[in-house]
Amino acid sequence: MPRNSDTSSLEKLLENPRVWRARSQPGPAQGLSSGYAQLDRLLPGGGWPRQALTEILIEQYGIGELQLLMPALASLCAEDRGAESVEPGWIAWVAPPFQPYPPALQKCGINLARMLIVRPRNDSEVLWSAEQALSSGTCAAVLLWPQGLDDQGSRRLQLAAEKGGSWAIAFRPLSARHEPSAAALRLELSASHRGKRLAILKSRGGRPAVLHNVV
Amino acid sequence: MPLAEAERGRVPAPAAAAKAERLWFCVYLPNLPLEACGPGDKDLAVIEEQQGVHRVLLAGDHASAAGVLPGQSPNAALALLPTLKLEERSVIREQQVLELLATWLEQFSSFICIAGPDVLLLEIAGSLRLFGGLQSLRRQIAAGLEAQGFEAALAIAPTPLAATWLARGRRRACIREPANVMTALRNLPLSCLDWPPTVLESLAGMGITDIGDCLRLPREGFARRFGVQRLLQLDRALGRLPDPRNSWRAPERFCADFEMTEEQSDRELLLAICHELLQAHEQFLLARQLGTQRLLFTFFHLKAKATSLPLGGARADRAADHWYELLRLRFEKLVLPEPVIAIRLRGGTTQALHGASGRLAFHGRAPREHYYSMSQLAERLAARIGNESVHGVNAVADHRPQYAWSTRDLFAARAADALTRVRQGAERPLWLLREPELLSTDNGHPLHQGKLRFVSGPERLETGWWDEHGIARDYYTAVSPRGAGLWVFRNRDRQRGGASAWYLHGIFG
Repeated sequence: MPRNSDTSSLEKLLENPRVWRARSQPGPAQGLSSGYAQLDRLLPGGGWPRQALTEILIEQYGIGELQLLMPALASLCAEDRGAESVEPGWIAWVAPPFQPYPPALQKCGINLARMLIVRPRNDSEVLWSAEQALSSGTCAAVLLWPQGLDDQGSRRLQLAAEKGGSWAIAFRPLSARHEPSAAALRLELSASHRGKRLAILKSRGGRPAVLHNVV
Repeated sequence: MPLAEAERGRVPAPAAAAKAERLWFCVYLPNLPLEACGPGDKDLAVIEEQQGVHRVLLAGDHASAAGVLPGQSPNAALALLPTLKLEERSVIREQQVLELLATWLEQFSSFICIAGPDVLLLEIAGSLRLFGGLQSLRRQIAAGLEAQGFEAALAIAPTPLAATWLARGRRRACIREPANVMTALRNLPLSCLDWPPTVLESLAGMGITDIGDCLRLPREGFARRFGVQRLLQLDRALGRLPDPRNSWRAPERFCADFEMTEEQSDRELLLAICHELLQAHEQFLLARQLGTQRLLFTFFHLKAKATSLPLGGARADRAADHWYELLRLRFEKLVLPEPVIAIRLRGGTTQALHGASGRLAFHGRAPREHYYSMSQLAERLAARIGNESVHGVNAVADHRPQYAWSTRDLFAARAADALTRVRQGAERPLWLLREPELLSTDNGHPLHQGKLRFVSGPERLETGWWDEHGIARDYYTAVSPRGAGLWVFRNRDRQRGGASAWYLHGIFG
């Protein structure tokens, strides 16, 4: 069996930690630039993790939680994806708490023709809709505001994001901080009269950090 | 097919249809009754009732070695091998196994036919190139059959009957030229043909034991004595007459059972069985280029009602590993009231599934897979949660905040070109409240989580006399004590006079 011994010696060679395989290594420029240099420096890959779930924990609305995403979302809308994709990236908003306001979105550089708003009636539909949008391959980013999201739900979102090559962003209350989650990145955004604080709670391939007044 | 009296005596000219060359691959399963009882049981013998008496039909390896022979009575067989397991022959089960095998063979040819209780035929002239030639194809099929535990006799010939007879005669024949069929068949004993024993006996009485002898008989007399059908069969086998066959199609919906010999409650084992079923399901769909979005597992118990576990995917898929992943997630939470005795997997409605071309990993940016278009996605979403709950947005050139936007129908054909680009100056919040929210006040100063601090303003937005929804408002950007950016306005309602009301209209998300 000369053939078998050949493959096994190849496998043995590949198991050597000194052998670096280009295919299995994510490129350094994998992240999606957030538009905030301060933040980009701390995120692995120099930006938001693409094709993964990001969780943003907030205690209240109106502290720049959308502003944090806008530069990246605008770049996704504008991105020239060439002939590889039939349609450019859509941005899905699943169960937003208020009305995303088109004049302001336009000012941030969002292409309104690529906005999809979905208003499901309950939490299981929120998860289902987000999963559909993520795995469809048409949405570059999916923002969702679930009432509750358990470990299994976040795992499902993470899988769907990987499958569709889409960026999932879930907004959750601060109380979710101690719940387990499969998200690749977890941020906590809070504000007080002294200013805004952005904490990286969990970052796959990175380390926790705290930033002030990013947005 | 009645043969004209005059033609019976003449050898028919080779069929014109022979131009479109065909090649038949026959799979003959002599031990099917035994193999249908389950794989690997060597102490097994299958018994069949013949004229009111049970007789051994086939015996497994160990049983044969112990001297159990076909035709023995069950008692004699048990005396030879006390550990012998006797199983009644089940023609239905054999048919099921044959159909499963036909389904498996569909990967090699698009034309399969079940030509008897133990014979499968494949038309392979069209498959030779794909599978790398005759020898390679034969090897692949033989290896696959062996791996599944079947002992099969294989033969290849230009006509289906010739292939069948050669396989039954256990000749490892591989004939490609129609001209060589005659030579190959000539020496084949008549017992390889499925003619009735009485016919064979009377032929043997005439000293005729192989096909060559048969062909030397006068055609007219042969047809008269043994039936036109037999003559027709010989002509068809030699390719003198066309022999059209019907292609067998498996049912479009997958359904398979796995029955266990005893009740099982080991969840890992049950999962492994489910995985096996899923792999069969994948094979089934692969042969049809189909995928499915729904699956239904049913776990049967001896006493309790069966437990069913439906699975659904976001998009049609057939990959066993994908479904297995979903199944594991759901199986963790599944409560089984009793041990399981059988598992059934039933496939859902199928849909066409087109493979995507792979790419070499040299490109810097991995191409995004495109599964379905936005309109398809919107349709799917709307189908479940309602049409009005799925929409796009558009900006409208109106200075009044609540009229400066509209929803956009994603389903309308011309929705894409109706987009407005509005030039604007002042800052606007990313969140807008559907209805402005009345704020409580303290000495005329608006409150929201405490006293608001104004950052900019006022921006006066007035009138709308043309549609009776006129406004007269002063908008301010404010910050709440807890740091939230708010967009508030004071109504300059002249009629009410006095202290005017404050409203929250937007949030700087």
